[in-house]
Amino acid sequence: MSESAGANAPKPSSSVKLVLLGEAAVGKSSLVLRFVNNDFQENKEPTIGAAFLTQKCSLPTRTIKFEIWDTAGQERFASLAPMYYRNAQAALVVYDVTKPSSLTKAKHWVAELQRQASPGIVIALVGNKLDLTNDGGDSSAAAAAEAESEPTSGEGEDNAAGEGEEQDTASGDSRKVSTREASSYADEEGLLFFETSAKTGANVVDVFTAIANAIPESSLKTGRGGAGTGQTALGGRSGDDSRVNLGDRNAATAKEGCAC
Amino acid sequence: MESLADTTWDVIIAGTGLSQSLLALALSRSGKKVLQLDQNPHYGGPDAAFSLDEAQEWVTGVNQHPGRSPFEDAKIFTYQHLPDSPRSPPSQNDSEGSEPLAGTPDIRPKLAASRTYTLSLSPYFLYTRSALISILISSKVYRQLEFVALGSWWIHTGTQAADANESGATSIFHRVPGNREDVFADTHISMKSKRTLMRFLRHISKSPDDAERDSAEELLVPFSEYLSSKFSVPGDLLHALHSLSLSQRSAQDTPAEYAVPRVQRHLSSIGSMGPGFGGVVSKYGGASEILQVACRACAVGGGAVALAIGIEYLEDEGSVNEEHPVQVQLTTGESVRSKVVVGSVWDLPGQEQSPPSAQVARSISIVSSNFASLLPITTEGQPLPASTILMFPGDTLSHPQSPPVYLQINSSDTGDCPRQQSVIYGSVALPGPEGHTLLECAVDRLLRAEGPQAMILWSMRYTQSGRFGNDGSPATIHKHSDHVYSFPPSSLDLSWEDEVVDMVKEAWTKIVGDEEDHDDFMIFEDREGTSDD
Repeated sequence: MSESAGANAPKPSSSVKLVLLGEAAVGKSSLVLRFVNNDFQENKEPTIGAAFLTQKCSLPTRTIKFEIWDTAGQERFASLAPMYYRNAQAALVVYDVTKPSSLTKAKHWVAELQRQASPGIVIALVGNKLDLTNDGGDSSAAAAAEAESEPTSGEGEDNAAGEGEEQDTASGDSRKVSTREASSYADEEGLLFFETSAKTGANVVDVFTAIANAIPESSLKTGRGGAGTGQTALGGRSGDDSRVNLGDRNAATAKEGCAC
Repeated sequence: MESLADTTWDVIIAGTGLSQSLLALALSRSGKKVLQLDQNPHYGGPDAAFSLDEAQEWVTGVNQHPGRSPFEDAKIFTYQHLPDSPRSPPSQNDSEGSEPLAGTPDIRPKLAASRTYTLSLSPYFLYTRSALISILISSKVYRQLEFVALGSWWIHTGTQAADANESGATSIFHRVPGNREDVFADTHISMKSKRTLMRFLRHISKSPDDAERDSAEELLVPFSEYLSSKFSVPGDLLHALHSLSLSQRSAQDTPAEYAVPRVQRHLSSIGSMGPGFGGVVSKYGGASEILQVACRACAVGGGAVALAIGIEYLEDEGSVNEEHPVQVQLTTGESVRSKVVVGSVWDLPGQEQSPPSAQVARSISIVSSNFASLLPITTEGQPLPASTILMFPGDTLSHPQSPPVYLQINSSDTGDCPRQQSVIYGSVALPGPEGHTLLECAVDRLLRAEGPQAMILWSMRYTQSGRFGNDGSPATIHKHSDHVYSFPPSSLDLSWEDEVVDMVKEAWTKIVGDEEDHDDFMIFEDREGTSDD
């Protein structure tokens, strides 16, 4: 993961913890796999197999390094640990555009994030499996879903998607959740909104770019962790000064190890 | 939700305490199908950490279901601070939540939102040479954790009038020297005492095969006698050295064989991970955060965790079902089968068990001060201490035979509370009201010395049963039947006891048998996509 050689002056780089939420089998892991590896597996096993995946997202003025945390199946028995939400600066709440119950579940997760996560968290609502609708999901149709980072600017796209909806039914379109319904919910709750296809890749990168843009500069720090709380150091005591990196343990000299 | 009965499990682990969660992680990476259950709706059992609201629910649960956990006699106090009486008596409140302060805008310190706190029921820290740290590193679990440094130890010197040069809490505490430079720089110790102390420190730092090392018989005497007869250590230094052992018993009741290795551990830890500190605290609730990361890592490895599901009863039917011999009836009415069941004694009902051998009174106080004077940087390059240990010798609060009171102050850098506040964890080896009176007295003295801005905003107290590290017999796994094992009650010590790592390894070894090289315990390769980069 080396920086491209083209950039002369390195841009500031910040880590952002992003958590994934959503009903089982809506394509959470597939979205991440598309974003991280530009890959798609038709019958993916329902876990991602890593504590978290990382991927950089380059913006004009800075680089965001996403740490993408999967639920690892812990949501199956309602046992998602509080540490999962800790200091998350962004969340991807995924539903399946062909399955209305998954939007209901997504709304539940949004409420849970509002209850448990840091107050400033950026939440993106993502309707996945666009490839199963007549909107296609190939990249040219991607404009059907809102691709702007401003959640309130999508009126034109809404109309376009609305037309698509009216045309579909006859031709094997599996869409069961209209763009308008999900998008107006996202507007109400102040969420970013996208429809994507992990299979074709449509809109996937756009989701992460929009999230990266939506994270306020003030809440970014270099290095990992701790940035999500939005607290500022008071009285000259900063949390960074007291942090101990366990990975460095061998680097420390042991000269004080003996008391005499 | 899926049904737990859809799967037959290799191992069911009852409880989500740190030891169970480490075992779950180890087994999941050994290819075992692991189900972890917790009768509570939260992670951690006795190692849990809570927001204010969760603490309230926990107190209600403890008092409603006595005997179902190692806790009893839990109460929460909220405080009404009026402008003219900064330390008015607390109002007791053991079942209902209430607003501690009226919503009128004023500058008096007040509690922040419930979830800005993570209050740890068993707030132990880790020595830097701890075996737990080694396995957190070898298992790569540490990457999802943040650690902050522990600072100095302090001894309460009684309530005599404050030194004219010192104000704040340091006026009634002496810092315990942690190394040779500290001893020389200390202005409270006489030259004679310094020489005595150096002689003792030199003695206990000798290598194990040195001929002048203590014989086993020499270490059978009380620590106080060992220090006075062998080294003529004066009384004030006795307290300091006693505090480094973290013994919760009085120096008369603490055998030298317990204290000496622990003082050695303390001294050899300082500087081993970086200048000026010997212990670390896991941010956001200590062990609670570590065990959640372990549970998550277990889930990543394919394990399942289900909260708020306990075991009603279980039966080892090894004679009739060889493949999955243990039938487990869950509190949800479901019945599941497993090859092996392991749990804490509190999570395996109906299994005979040895009763807990010790009890401590504990308290948690949220205070409106950051106690900066007790968290100084004393060595160049030292990370800013986020936590400190205060010891009140028995005779400063009660009488010489009383056990000492330990307070651990966690600043907001531990993530346990918001800025400008601290969480004070108290512990004394005296259960019930007697212990709680001592804890209250200790916290009160600390706050009075710190100044009028230091007020208690919220506090909780409870009594916990468990065991001390110095109970003689080493802690081991208890075998109830061929396929059912239990962990002993949790340690009540103030630092993580490495024998728990040995116990987890023992349980893992029993379950994986010859399938794994036992030297590979908790050593995992990086998985795809993770890196330090």
